Amino acid sequence: MLSIEYDENNPKHRMVRKAIVIVISLVTFVILWWVVTALMNDRNFPTPDKVFEALWNLILYGDPIGGHSVWDYIAVSLKTFITGFILALVVALPLGLLLGYVGPLREFTSPWIEIVRPIAPIAWAPIFVLSFGSQLGPALVVFIGIFFPLLTNIIFGVQRIDQNWLDASKTLGASQGQLFYKIVLPATVPYILNGIKVGLGVGWMCIVAAEIYNKFGGIGQYLVDMVNGGLMSNAFAAIIIIAVLGLATTGVAEYASKIVSRRMGMDA
Amino acid sequence: MSKGEMVIEGEKYNSKDRVRADHTDKLYAHIPEGETLLSIRDLNVTYRTDEKSTVAVDNLSFDIKKGELVSIVGPSGCGKSTVLRCISGLLQPTSGTIMIGDNKCTTAGSDRGMVFQEFALFPWRTVRKNIEFGLEIAGVPKEERRERSEKYLKAMGLFEFADSRIHELSGGMKQRVGIARAMIMHPAVILMDEPFGALDAQTRNILQESLVKVLKNSSRTIVFVTHSVDEALYLSDRIIVLSKRPATIHKIIEVPGDRPRDRVAPEYAAMRKEILSYLQSQNTMN
Repeated sequence: MLSIEYDENNPKHRMVRKAIVIVISLVTFVILWWVVTALMNDRNFPTPDKVFEALWNLILYGDPIGGHSVWDYIAVSLKTFITGFILALVVALPLGLLLGYVGPLREFTSPWIEIVRPIAPIAWAPIFVLSFGSQLGPALVVFIGIFFPLLTNIIFGVQRIDQNWLDASKTLGASQGQLFYKIVLPATVPYILNGIKVGLGVGWMCIVAAEIYNKFGGIGQYLVDMVNGGLMSNAFAAIIIIAVLGLATTGVAEYASKIVSRRMGMDA
Repeated sequence: MSKGEMVIEGEKYNSKDRVRADHTDKLYAHIPEGETLLSIRDLNVTYRTDEKSTVAVDNLSFDIKKGELVSIVGPSGCGKSTVLRCISGLLQPTSGTIMIGDNKCTTAGSDRGMVFQEFALFPWRTVRKNIEFGLEIAGVPKEERRERSEKYLKAMGLFEFADSRIHELSGGMKQRVGIARAMIMHPAVILMDEPFGALDAQTRNILQESLVKVLKNSSRTIVFVTHSVDEALYLSDRIIVLSKRPATIHKIIEVPGDRPRDRVAPEYAAMRKEILSYLQSQNTMN
């Protein structure tokens, strides 16, 4: 009989083990979901078979009301999401480095951040859509979600910079500008990536709120439509699509951050 | 030639270059070996808190001659590292002046290279890129950087680690990088702040020997802070013995003998005993 000893030091063994754990975890999740929803017997909480059937139909035939392809919905959401993400990166990166580096400025602005940060992104949705339209408005809601975790991670990263690195650079002749480009910026990269990772997760949490007022477009708008139409299985299918999109993007970010941290010999 | 500019061997340095450029030792080529290069005058460091002010360094004056290695020893917490940080410009003294030749040192700069106890290497750079850091700052072209770092990688026994990351190195290897990074710049003065303090005894000895070997081939002016009397006796031309806080100079001892020295020679044993018994008498725990 063939038997293989599990070897903790073998990377292949570790990967297979990890994959097995994930599969068992997901199967257990679906079973639990099934048991709970079957016991509840509430049409607002469909059992997994109904949801996966709805998901399957959505992918094959488009949405049950307008017949739009699921890919159209996803494309709109991705566009909203990516716009919000790039905006957040463009604003948070220089601002975070600046606030991390310049103590007095950080002290002065930190009350602003603390006032605005706790406001739920969904609260901004109607304001942004009214003011900036149905294109930019939803992207700005995503922006708010990604911006704050990204900003606070970058500020934290700059503050965590080893004073010895700055001292050593000064005794090697570095000017203020060189300290910034050659020490502060590279030393903060692992924290920037960590901020992106956390921010992406929060960003997907905001997608439904962002698209709640959309006429057509976005997986979030689809979800709201389905709930309004009482098609709960379809609504849950949308939740699964959002979850998969979120997992895919944060997975890529996590992988990138792991590689970079290892290459740089740093842990964020 | 405008004010603040000097021409050394056909190269032009202005006062800004004095703290940015490499080869700042050339600025003082006119000072012969054995003449005063670095002078510290009336150095005072006082820390003020709300209730009281603590004098850490009290009116310290001494000279360092070109080409010599001077150790500063003293009881724990006497402020020897504080003195070194003042010389480096990383710490502003309460009063006093620090001069290299005719130039007053006010801020940190590349004319006073430093080796840190905690290595202070950049983990996102390879060994080679760590060593080349100062040359990059000084705007030395890539090819020349490569050529010069190659020399130091070899001299410090780091050649096979050139493309390694810092976290892959042992403590001793890390400090070799730290020394190479300071030396490659050819600063006027090199400051070493307990450079081997974080290493085990064996590695420490090996690094002391490496340093001696490098200094054989390339004359440098070094101020070396250590808490090890043995290390001071093995490496220094002179030893400045500081009192307990506030630091004043107790004694300056000339150490005879060419390097490399015999660690257990009887003449050093007597000096060792003298310094150690003084340090013990100054121990604030007594």
